[in-house]
Amino acid sequence: MPKARGPRFGLWLAAGAGYAFLYVPLAIVVVYSFNDSRLNAEWVGFTLDWYRTLFGDSDMIAAAGNSLLIATSASLVSTVLGTAAGVAMYRYPTRLLSFLVLAPIAIPEILMGVSLLIFFVLVNFTLGLVSVALAHIAFCIGFVAIVVRARLAGMDESLTEAARDCGATPWNAFRYVTLPLIMPGVIAGALMAFTLSIDDFVITFFTAGAGTVTLPLQIYSMIKIAVTPEVNAVSSLLMLLTLALIIIASRVSPTVLRSE
Amino acid sequence: MKKPVWLLAALLLAGPALAKDEFHLYNWNNYIAPETIKRFEDFCKCTVVQSYYSSNEELLAKLAAGAKGYDMLVPTANAVDALIKGKRLMPIDKSQLPNLKNIDPRYLDTPFDPGNKFSVPYAMSTTIIGYNDVKMKELGLPTDTWAVIFDPKYLEKVKGRVTVLDDENELFAAALKYLGYSANDTDEKHWKEAQALINKAKPYWAAFNASSYIKELTVGNIWLVHGYSNDIFQANLDAQAAKRPFKILQGMPKEGAVLAVDNMVIPKDAQRSDLALKFMNFMLEGKNSSELTNLIGSGNPNMDAVKYIKPEILKNPAIFPNKEVAAKLEQLRDLTAAQRRLRSRMWTEIKAGH
Amino acid sequence: MARGRGRGLGRWLVSGPPIAYLIVFFAVPSLIMVLASFRTPGEFGGLAPLYEDGHLDLNLESYLRFFEELVYARIFVKSVWYALLTTLFSLGLAYPLAALIARSSKRYRDLLLLLVILPFWSNFLIRIYAWMIILGPNAALAKTVNGVLAWFGHGPVPLLFSSFAVLVCLVYVSLPFMVLPLYANLEKHDPALLEAAQDLGASAWQRFWRITFPLSLPGVYAGAALVFIPALGIFAIPDILGGPEDSLIGNVIKQQFLETRDWPFGSVLSIVLTVAALAIAGLAAWVARGNLGTPSSRREERA
Repeated sequence: MPKARGPRFGLWLAAGAGYAFLYVPLAIVVVYSFNDSRLNAEWVGFTLDWYRTLFGDSDMIAAAGNSLLIATSASLVSTVLGTAAGVAMYRYPTRLLSFLVLAPIAIPEILMGVSLLIFFVLVNFTLGLVSVALAHIAFCIGFVAIVVRARLAGMDESLTEAARDCGATPWNAFRYVTLPLIMPGVIAGALMAFTLSIDDFVITFFTAGAGTVTLPLQIYSMIKIAVTPEVNAVSSLLMLLTLALIIIASRVSPTVLRSE
Repeated sequence: MKKPVWLLAALLLAGPALAKDEFHLYNWNNYIAPETIKRFEDFCKCTVVQSYYSSNEELLAKLAAGAKGYDMLVPTANAVDALIKGKRLMPIDKSQLPNLKNIDPRYLDTPFDPGNKFSVPYAMSTTIIGYNDVKMKELGLPTDTWAVIFDPKYLEKVKGRVTVLDDENELFAAALKYLGYSANDTDEKHWKEAQALINKAKPYWAAFNASSYIKELTVGNIWLVHGYSNDIFQANLDAQAAKRPFKILQGMPKEGAVLAVDNMVIPKDAQRSDLALKFMNFMLEGKNSSELTNLIGSGNPNMDAVKYIKPEILKNPAIFPNKEVAAKLEQLRDLTAAQRRLRSRMWTEIKAGH
Repeated sequence: MARGRGRGLGRWLVSGPPIAYLIVFFAVPSLIMVLASFRTPGEFGGLAPLYEDGHLDLNLESYLRFFEELVYARIFVKSVWYALLTTLFSLGLAYPLAALIARSSKRYRDLLLLLVILPFWSNFLIRIYAWMIILGPNAALAKTVNGVLAWFGHGPVPLLFSSFAVLVCLVYVSLPFMVLPLYANLEKHDPALLEAAQDLGASAWQRFWRITFPLSLPGVYAGAALVFIPALGIFAIPDILGGPEDSLIGNVIKQQFLETRDWPFGSVLSIVLTVAALAIAGLAAWVARGNLGTPSSRREERA
């Protein structure tokens, strides 16, 4: 009898179309980083000049570094808070929590950016990298919470109850029973939070201080003149770097990331 | 887990106290030559920290929400108008600006800042027509009138290959000029005429676009644009570098156009207004001012800069218009809140379609 | 008995920190702007002073404008439509992806998942510019499509600067936010269920429609929420490659804050948008309450 082991051919085909949809534009992004033209519009010729320009462009590199720093810290904090929120939405649902989690996703970014700026100015909080990170955490929590909650849906509480009955503290019950079960949701949420943070423009524009530049801020300011292939170069390198960091992290702490 | 965040916060907050002389310049991207910055840093023995914005409106919104920390801004005339009326600027001590005499008096003493109490001209551009010369000749279209953007009898030859700026003030100004009114006309009847004109032309336009139209023009997907002279100048440089079989040329409409003069201003709460004034005087020197023009083909109000500017740029009538053309150029004024609201509704109606 | 232990300290430790954070960094700032929707716009931008001649200057003018000038409601409906289409198409594209990743062996699973999100660590602008290259009038895709159309006697249609371009890019940027929640849910499906169904003679379609899909509904709803709700407020994509009539409510809101500098009206539009988004999400959750697998719904089934 044929066993349904592993994905079938039809599934591979459909998924393959999905990956193609994702990667054709990306292939263009990477290939055009070698394009011998200032514009990201058509292929002219091959050159490494843009990478050379990038390595001499301390502003762009600093902006990329800031983006990575903010994205890493914001996604860590929002994953923790978001996981807590997701668990709370499942176990102790309240309308307040649902609203606080969903509304930042619904609210237009420009309103959130302006209101956070007014808020920071009102409480005399110096604008800088920290203000940006705090803003990012606010809108990322919801994404993590919703995914974790969906993961928890239909979960058998009897496992956790059994652990508690055997004398486990609530923290240990969470750490050794619940957390491994929801880990794919937590990872998915963390990945989304990181992605949202590293590419955010509108909220970052309003909450960044004078002299604080993240990569999207730097790049968007070029929009009226030309978004040169230097941007393709820095994006390609940033993707590689982030991928490498994640692979290293997963090798170093396999027990954390594996969903066993 | 929160500890590293607090440490980071402490370091970042303490940062400004440890920094040496810093001049925070909030400017358009690519609106100052790197050599100029370096020379200024040597001259003032300070560090220039640059931040960028890409539209006047973003700048105004950020300032209105209370952002501070900038020592100098470079807004366009109508934004300077709004900032002065909103009392956000520091008066300039003109005794520190001996080089101010280099500026062509035509650009001083503007209606929104009489006596230049708050602003000093920096660079300028015009909003005109940009076109693919081969295509326009092929189709036999004029390139010196707004009619080619607004009149369906010309538009049907370039249907789907024209873009206009996604800027309500610029597009209304062009429409008003074409209809024979002033770009700063505030008569609602005239605005309705302009709206009707735009609605009639809209089906032929490919897009309202202020961000990616230039590259489409450069590669030949778009043949005719309503755009900024600097961008069109740059587009031609890029097209030639890519060895395209056409040139991108600037067309100055005979009905007149919008002149955008960007000005150096100092925000009221600037920490280092002394450095700001030094920078202003430095940029009023002909040589320093010329570097931007040579870099991006921007117009230059500085008479002393003329001797340093490349001849081919000097000859370009869209960048350095003669007296006749200059007489038809207008700088935009800021509108009152009620006028802005009306125009915004008309603009939304245009963009909502049917 | 065990449920009783969950109340009290545990509840506050888990709900407390996120609620506190969101109250400080979301609710309070937003209240500032909610208040702003009742204020008068400043003459030169921003807001007029709160106290005018000694008394509070609050009014409903901006709200009345929204109900009087119908063009805003029209654009709003258009945006809901675009967001709905985006959600449906991303669901269709994302489901096979998520299913593939969920069913892959552990060795490849993490890599396949990372591969889905990797493109989105590049910058948004250049990804959209890449789409402009793909959809450009001289590129292969447009030439093929127009060639086919010409064969049927139809004139050429622009792929770029059109609703088509806007939708394609909306789906593109939404895809990972549909894949990830779906994956998180599909990953825990027990393959034994499907094997049993297959042994009992169920076809592939039946296995999907009667077992997999219903079990994945919580993931579907999560993904739909994370795609539909943000898509309502988007403005950058129509700005960069939309046609002359592809303006969405996000563009109008941005315009109010930037060009028109009418913050009260911008706040009104934003509040209407937020309330509508939450209402739609709430409605969908209520309709689906039997399928969300929450303790409350399961209690209903047991009763």
